[in-house]
Amino acid sequence: MKFTPARICQLLFLALFLLLFVQTEYRGQDEISAAVNSFFRANPLVLISYLLAAKTWTWLLFPALLMAVATLFLGRFFCGWICPLGTILDLVTTRISKSAPLRSLKGNAKYWLLLPLLSASLVNLNLSGLLDPIAILLRGLTFFLYPLLGIAAREGWVGLYHMIGEQRDTIAPAYNLVRDNLLPFRDTMYPLAFLSAAILLGIIALERYETRNWCRNLCPLGTLLGWLGRFSLFERLPGKLCSDCGQCRELCPTGFDQDALFKEECTLCMECQRGCPHDRISFRPRKKQNVTAPFLPERRLLLGGFAGGLLLAIPARFRSPAKESRLLRPPGVQSENDFLKKCVRCGECMKVCLKNALYPATYQAGVEGIFTPQVIPRLGYCEYNCTLCGQVCPTGAIPALPLESKKREVIGKAAFDKNHCLPFARKIDCIVCEEHCPIPDKAIRSRSVSVVGLDGVSRMVKEPYLVEEICNGCGICENVCPLETKAGIEVFAVKNRTPIPRNRGNQEPQNSEGNGQ
Amino acid sequence: MDRRTFIKATGSAVLLGPVLVKDVLAAREQSLVVVTEGTDYPAITRKAINALGGMTKFVKSGDIVVVKPNMGWDRSSELAANTHPLVVRAVVEECLAAGAKKVKVFDNTCNDSRRCYVNSGIEGALKGMKCVECKQIETERFKKVTLNGQFLKEWELYDEALSANVYINVPVAKHHGLSKLTLGLKNIMGIMGGSRGYIHRNIDVALADINAHFKSHLTIIDATRILTAHGPQGGNIADVRVLNKIIASTDIVAADAYATTLFGMKPADIPVTVAAYKRGLGEMNLDKIKVVKA
Repeated sequence: MKFTPARICQLLFLALFLLLFVQTEYRGQDEISAAVNSFFRANPLVLISYLLAAKTWTWLLFPALLMAVATLFLGRFFCGWICPLGTILDLVTTRISKSAPLRSLKGNAKYWLLLPLLSASLVNLNLSGLLDPIAILLRGLTFFLYPLLGIAAREGWVGLYHMIGEQRDTIAPAYNLVRDNLLPFRDTMYPLAFLSAAILLGIIALERYETRNWCRNLCPLGTLLGWLGRFSLFERLPGKLCSDCGQCRELCPTGFDQDALFKEECTLCMECQRGCPHDRISFRPRKKQNVTAPFLPERRLLLGGFAGGLLLAIPARFRSPAKESRLLRPPGVQSENDFLKKCVRCGECMKVCLKNALYPATYQAGVEGIFTPQVIPRLGYCEYNCTLCGQVCPTGAIPALPLESKKREVIGKAAFDKNHCLPFARKIDCIVCEEHCPIPDKAIRSRSVSVVGLDGVSRMVKEPYLVEEICNGCGICENVCPLETKAGIEVFAVKNRTPIPRNRGNQEPQNSEGNGQ
Repeated sequence: MDRRTFIKATGSAVLLGPVLVKDVLAAREQSLVVVTEGTDYPAITRKAINALGGMTKFVKSGDIVVVKPNMGWDRSSELAANTHPLVVRAVVEECLAAGAKKVKVFDNTCNDSRRCYVNSGIEGALKGMKCVECKQIETERFKKVTLNGQFLKEWELYDEALSANVYINVPVAKHHGLSKLTLGLKNIMGIMGGSRGYIHRNIDVALADINAHFKSHLTIIDATRILTAHGPQGGNIADVRVLNKIIASTDIVAADAYATTLFGMKPADIPVTVAAYKRGLGEMNLDKIKVVKA
């Protein structure tokens, strides 16, 4: 591997990406200063789909606007200098022997991916994250590789304990260093782990046909950047293969499919310049506008792509009410429609979630909601004092809220299932849910009632009840319910997610029945 | 002495004898509870330990000591849901001064353990101290222990507590929805693994089962500020009362019994205390406890 400037830059950005990925976790600070969301906030595909879907502006995505403008002037440099997925492909592609390029991917295939994505956004279904290369990479890491790493390391560590017991403590400092700085805190299994890994591996497998196969023939972000890059102020000279040489075709990882350089596929890696045996090649400001391809794709493609988006977006809306009743969104998400317009499905909130309450939806939110985050309280609850998911969300789909506001945001409302809940079903004490309810005035309270036990003996039992107005649906009650499998209290989705009023939840309750007695 | 007197005397001796002997014996080992008061929390903690004879009475040179505070909740120290970090630090320092080889501080938390360790202030208070460990719980270290109790036949307990030479119980005094109060006897839950919510079904007996099997050598109750309602995690400063008190005893039941009075309740009101007393784990009758205000 030659360390060209582009390659060094690529490796630095890959390292940065991985560093930020590891940093996207609670490490003793309430605030995460830098997270992997930077890569999404500077992502023009995320920007344009957000603008089309949400139809509002957000300063969170200002870096993406800068990136788009830079691409307009410089060309598609992102792909050759920054994109971590592109870098991974460059690193592995030399070890993969190539057969002939796939013909089916040539031509307009990439526009058939990009245009429906954009037009679906226009009708409020933002699917760009499904095919965004950074999101694909991040999901593969978050849902598959990172848990694998964590579990392998921990199983090894636990295995060591079973072998040598407390003597393990002598090497604990070394392990702790790795655990505290690199490993995930908790072993979490995610749904869609295999799908996430398969998409990523599929992209790598495409390298069997030609280098940067995904990037030049499919990637919607690359396609968008390439389209912007057509207008770049720079040009490569000469613009064609020289009749006496033709080395460029061998050196170029992307743009030299034919005799002429495809400007929109040129990633400015400058391999051709470095490798030219005749030193003929230069990248310089262009003198005149000589865009060969039309500004817009042909009309048939444009209309077809638009129709494709509509056909994609509208039938995907079906949702099963039974599934949706348990579809709980992260704290601060008040409107499901608004959320779907903004969520990139990058998986960052699920990566950072302190108690691993967030999981990618598989079918709960219908086809349109695949990979969007949902709270599964039985697996993890929303920690009362934590605001991390809002901090790392690149688009503000989960709003970044101050702690005091976030505490009052409603995720759902808990409800008792008296057929399972012990004080009702078996007439015995429990109220673990009340103990854990984090609302200072307790959204779950209890009252002592005289009941006839199942043994026929009268006794006093504490029966829990819900004060619905101050329940924020954090789900800790469902999480800690000591029943096996199904909990005796469960959180259900609600349409009205108006935050708990400021004067409620931290006042002396009018009803002191459940307190202290 | 005639026969009648003799029979009366022997009869009453036989009947009363065991009671008298028991009383005499109990008097010899009368439970001592030390109460100190002041706004310098490390100082009143030390004073309480010294009034019990000093830490060297409990910790010998080279001992491994577990100091078990309550730091189960993601709440800051002024909210009285966790033991005050200054109290914990003072206890740890006394252990080290007494020659402890290592002092381990941990709790099986209810909220996210990382946040609890940080927000309670305890991890920060112990930071940089030599021979002190403030590690998070590692689930593989829970060992199934046969208890043969009345409710719990066996349960998983933490190996670091089981293998320590000295176990010092440092709870914070606070309200609890189910057991009314949570004090020393209930703080033992921090070394329990498994699905702890299970024991709520019969919490009084279950806690007596655990405490009968696993003894706290010293109980130091943090009543510098107490949580009077919405326990055990509170969250509202209005529920907190500042008392600036430390209660210490080698008798966990006596310590709990005295601490109960701080809430305006009687030891007999707290079923956990009563169950432990009935099990013979300590004295709960305030008039049989020697209270020393140091």
